[in-house]
Amino acid sequence: MPLILRGVMQSPVTPLKDDFSPDLPTFEKLLDFHVRTGATAISWPHHKGESLNLSIKERKAFAEVAVKTVAGRVPVSVHVSALSVEDSIELAKHAEQIGADAIIAITPYFWAPSQEAIYQHYVRLGKVTSLPMIAYNSPSYLEGVEFTGELVTRLMHDVPSLIAMKEASFNSAKFLEISRAALQVRPNFSIVAGVEFLAPSVPLGCVGSYSSAGAICPNLCTQLYDACIAGDSVKARELQFKLAQLWDLFRDQYPSSLKGGMVVMGRPVGPTRPPLPTATKERQAFIAKQLEELGILDTEPHGW
Amino acid sequence: MSVFTPGLVHTPVTPFTTDLKIDYSRYEQLLEFHLAQGAQSLAITMHAGESVSLTDQEQRAQFAFATKQVNGRVPLLAHVSDSGTRIALERAQYAESIGMQAVICTTPYYWTPPAPMILEHFLQVSQAVKLPFFVFYSPDEMGGITLSTDLILKLVDQRPNFAGMIDASLDWQFMINIISNVWRKKPEFQLLAGNEYMVSAGAIGATSMLSGLGAIAPKLIKELYTICRTEKYVQARQAQENVAALLFLITQYGFGGLKSAMYAMGRDCGIPRPPHDALSPSQHQTLSQSLHALPFMSKEPQGW
Repeated sequence: MPLILRGVMQSPVTPLKDDFSPDLPTFEKLLDFHVRTGATAISWPHHKGESLNLSIKERKAFAEVAVKTVAGRVPVSVHVSALSVEDSIELAKHAEQIGADAIIAITPYFWAPSQEAIYQHYVRLGKVTSLPMIAYNSPSYLEGVEFTGELVTRLMHDVPSLIAMKEASFNSAKFLEISRAALQVRPNFSIVAGVEFLAPSVPLGCVGSYSSAGAICPNLCTQLYDACIAGDSVKARELQFKLAQLWDLFRDQYPSSLKGGMVVMGRPVGPTRPPLPTATKERQAFIAKQLEELGILDTEPHGW
Repeated sequence: MSVFTPGLVHTPVTPFTTDLKIDYSRYEQLLEFHLAQGAQSLAITMHAGESVSLTDQEQRAQFAFATKQVNGRVPLLAHVSDSGTRIALERAQYAESIGMQAVICTTPYYWTPPAPMILEHFLQVSQAVKLPFFVFYSPDEMGGITLSTDLILKLVDQRPNFAGMIDASLDWQFMINIISNVWRKKPEFQLLAGNEYMVSAGAIGATSMLSGLGAIAPKLIKELYTICRTEKYVQARQAQENVAALLFLITQYGFGGLKSAMYAMGRDCGIPRPPHDALSPSQHQTLSQSLHALPFMSKEPQGW
């Protein structure tokens, strides 16, 4: 299907059984929940989906379920980033084979690559599939490794499949550096915010977000996006502040707190694989109290 | 009690003679230029004005000169930052004694004190005066020292004159976290954009903006600020993009770029003091050509 990135896109968590093995039936339920509650696209597995704690074989199995379950209702992109570039390439090829709509890839992990090395990484990925590609900028999680405007311009000239960027610097200057460079080359290039930082980014041309809290409060996420698009600044600010409180709650032990919150919302998805902790009963009780105080329990869907 | 809101705050440079003394006749001309171009307040003297390259005596002399020259036409904010707490607080007391309207203070220079001592620094400086007290947050310039929401909330609790945060971090997460938490305790607390990225800051709740570019493109800066204050952030996007283009151009030349750009606009304020380098003649020529090639610069005033 044509890939249009807009609105609140969901990147599901990865359901696991109590023994930490993949829980594919619950993953199907989760995907269906996201699509029914307004997701405009599905993208899996972002870091909140514990991508780096899954084997390549497991990632392929989940990706197949995602494409099959969503069944063309919205676009599905597969996050192919792995510690080894060889694995990323294999995942990218697999995504194309199973009929995914796009791939998404962050700058390489650990090695603090130069701008030239980042360039070569995306050129390589762009050559192994014909799928549209979404680049992912997240300097705070990658020791400051990030895209410059110059690199974006160069990549857009040399990698025709590069159609969008998940921009998660959460920084005005960086957002504008990238958007000014990208839109000059191609005005239809999409810049998507990480998490739900929509109030500060939509006025600058951001087209939507990869949601963090969408499995907890899809209604709130959609309301924020709608307020931003309508130019209702006062309402957008109010909703953004509420979502920021949720982000503070969930980014502590991310994504285990998110999974703990999903238990509270009647959508249990199991534990989180080590080295990440699993939300204890006490943590779940704390999250439940916070969600109640924020009015989430009364305004958001409970159960599947 | 009425709340002091600085509004559009211009941050004048410090003009130097060829022997690198403060050029007061040019400073007088510069202050009058800023007032004529719509500055609603002036901050004397921020980093753009090379505060750190001035002696304590020179900074006090500037405070006094500006106070006399401006003569109450707009409020004057005294930037008192220093390494030593006592030095900063005595400068703040001096500013109050001569009738300036507010005090601005960063984290201490050079030292990397633990959080309780940063709080102590702000407590002592703010306690030394009755004036509204603003914390200037610029972690990139200050060796990466970060402020926590907890520290800011403690300062809010203990200092009634703590009026607001001036944010130059451009970090949406930080700004949202600070302002949404502080507003629950103190709704009149202010967020000020510490530089010209006003769209995102305004969408989050900033009501004032500090601008060094007011010396280069005052009409553009005023347009950006004025639209943002109507909360029509989407309409402000073009002005924001223009400002970003200007910032990218000037900052790529390092600190000397600002004064070189002023010279190119017919407003010669000399070169920066060491350790900053002035631009070479060829660098200056390139900057000047690039500056005048920006289409929106044709609307800006040339000369004084």
